[in-house]
Amino acid sequence: MEILTAFAIGLTFAAGVYQMLQRNVIRSAIGLMMMSNGISLYLLSTGAWIGEKAAYVGQAPGDPVDPLPQALILTAIVISLGITAFILAVMFIMSKRYKTCDSDALTGLSR
Amino acid sequence: MVNPIIVILPVLIPAVAGVLGLICHRYQRCQSWIALAGMALSLAVSLKLLVLVRGAGLPLVFQAGGWAAPFGISFAADLLAVFFVTMSQVVLFAGVIYAAGAKDRCVAYPAFYPLFLFLATGLTGAFLTGDVFNLFVFIELLAISSTVLTAVSDDGFGTEAAFKYFFMSQLAAFFMLLSVGAIYVSCGTLNMGHLAQIVPSLGEQGMLPMAAAFLMATFMIKSATFPFHFWQPDFHTAAPTPVSAMLSAVVVKLGVYGFIRMTTLIFVPQGEMIRGLLVVLGIAGIIFGGLAAMGTHNVKRMLAYSTLAQVGFVLVGIGWGTALSLTAALIFAFNHSLAKSAMLMLAGHLASRAPVKSADFSVVAGRGRGLPFTGILFFIGCLGLAGIPPTNGFISKMSVFNAGINAGQFYGLALIGISSVFTLVYTMRAFMRIFWQAPEISGEIRSSGDLRLAPALLVLLVLGLGIFAGPLVDLAGETAARAADNQAYVTAVMGGIK
Repeated sequence: MEILTAFAIGLTFAAGVYQMLQRNVIRSAIGLMMMSNGISLYLLSTGAWIGEKAAYVGQAPGDPVDPLPQALILTAIVISLGITAFILAVMFIMSKRYKTCDSDALTGLSR
Repeated sequence: MVNPIIVILPVLIPAVAGVLGLICHRYQRCQSWIALAGMALSLAVSLKLLVLVRGAGLPLVFQAGGWAAPFGISFAADLLAVFFVTMSQVVLFAGVIYAAGAKDRCVAYPAFYPLFLFLATGLTGAFLTGDVFNLFVFIELLAISSTVLTAVSDDGFGTEAAFKYFFMSQLAAFFMLLSVGAIYVSCGTLNMGHLAQIVPSLGEQGMLPMAAAFLMATFMIKSATFPFHFWQPDFHTAAPTPVSAMLSAVVVKLGVYGFIRMTTLIFVPQGEMIRGLLVVLGIAGIIFGGLAAMGTHNVKRMLAYSTLAQVGFVLVGIGWGTALSLTAALIFAFNHSLAKSAMLMLAGHLASRAPVKSADFSVVAGRGRGLPFTGILFFIGCLGLAGIPPTNGFISKMSVFNAGINAGQFYGLALIGISSVFTLVYTMRAFMRIFWQAPEISGEIRSSGDLRLAPALLVLLVLGLGIFAGPLVDLAGETAARAADNQAYVTAVMGGIK
C-alpha cells in the first residue's frame, strides 16, 4: 500500500508539473489543481497506517489513527478551493482582455 | 502578569476591522476611517507589546484555545517577532494613510480596504505564530489578498502581473506544504519551540534536510531572493501605489524573517549550510539588482529592482552569522522598509499628477520641476536608499560594513562595497530626470494628486532614525542577542515540558 501511494503521489505531481508548464493558461491552472491534490495525498500519507480506528473524543479503546494530517489536509483543501475560484476569475478577465489562452501572448509587462 | 491575549491583538484588530469594512462596503468614507482607526490601534498595541517584551526579557506566549504547547497552536511574541511586527505596522499604517488620500480608482473598489487589512493580518500573524502549519495559513492569506489587490489595480497590466505572481506564490505554498509533511514525519510536531528541542537530536537523518530545503525554497520565493526574483519587478510595478509600497517594503521581509527563524530556532544544525547559501545569493542579488535598476525605464520598476539589491544586503548580514551581522541585518531591514515605502509613495504621487497616469520615466521626466516639497522628500529618500548621512540608510550600510570587517569577510565586503555605488547612481539619475530635466511629453501637470502626508511622515522617520540612531541600534542588538539564544523561546513556549 505504501508503494502504491508513493506512485500515486509521484504520478499526480508529475502530471501536474507537466500540465502547469503548458502554454495554454487553462491547462496550467489544471496543473496547479492537480499538484495541490498530489500534495494533499502526500500529507495524508504522513499520518496513514499508524493506527486503525478513527480518532475522536471519548472513543472506545483501540489504536487511534493520527488525526493531525487529516486536519492539515482539510485546511489545505479549503484554501485550494479559494485559489481555484480566484484563478478561474483571473483567467476569465484575461481571456476577455487578451482574446487568447496562450501564455506567450501575455507580454504586456515586459515590453 | 500581563494578559497573554495582547500577543494576538495585532493580528485580531486588523482582521476585525477588515470584517467591519466589508459590512459597510457601501460607504467608502466610513471604510477608510475604520481602516485608519484599526491600523492606528494595532500599531499602538504592537508598540505596547514591544515595550512589554523588551522589559520582561522573556517571550510572551498565547496558547490558542487553552491547549498546552505541542498540542495547541502557540502564538509566541519574542523580541525578534515583535521587532518585525512593529516595523510592518508602522509601514502599513502609513500605507492606509496614503490609500485614504489617493486618487486611484481602485481605492474606491468596495473590497480594497478589507483586503488591505487582511494583508496586515496575514503579515502580522506570520510573524507572531509559533506553529509551522499556521505560518502556511497566514502566508496564504497574505499571498491571496496581495494578489487580489494587484489584480484590481488601475494599471492595465495588473491582472497579468497578478496571474504571474499567483503561480509563483502557489508554488511557494506547495513547497511549504511539502516541508510541513517532511517535518511532521521526522519530528512528529509542528510547534517551532518543540522543533527546536527535537531537531538537534535528530541530526541529518530522515527527511529533515529535505524539509529544510523546501522551507528555504518557500522563503526564497517570498523574499524574491536572487534566482527567484523574476516575478517581483512585474508584480511591484503593476500594483496600486499604496499596495506596492507595502509589498516592496514589508512583505518581502517575511522571507527575511523566515531565514532568521530557520537559522536561529528551527534548523540550527543545518544553519551553517543555509547561511553559506544566503551569502552567495545575497551578493548575487545585490549585483544583479543594482545593474537591473540602472537599466529600467519606470520609477516603480527601478525601486522594485532596488528592493532585490537591498534585501541582498539583509541576507548577507544573516549569512555572516555573527551577532554583529545579525544586528546589522535587522537595522538594514527596518531602515530599508521606511525608505523604500516612502520612495514608492512619492513615485506614485508623481505618477498621479502626470498627464498620463504612469510612473514611466518618459511620462514623469520633468514633472517634478514645480514641486519643491516633493523634490526635497524624494531627494532625502534617495539619500536614504543610497546610504548617505544624515539618513538612516547610512547607519544601516555602516553597520553592515562594520559587521563584515568584524567577521573578516573581505571578499564579500569588497563586492557589496562596489555594488552599493550602483544605488547612488540610479537614485540620483532618477532624481535628476524627474526634477531637473525638461518634460519629454506635452500636457499640463494636474493641480492635485495623491496626498503627500504618508511619505512625508516616513521621510521624517528616515531622517530621525539617521540622526538619533541610538535607540534602534540598541533594540536591534538586543533582538539579535536574544534570537541567537533560543532557550528562552523554547522554555516560554513549552513551559518546561521536555
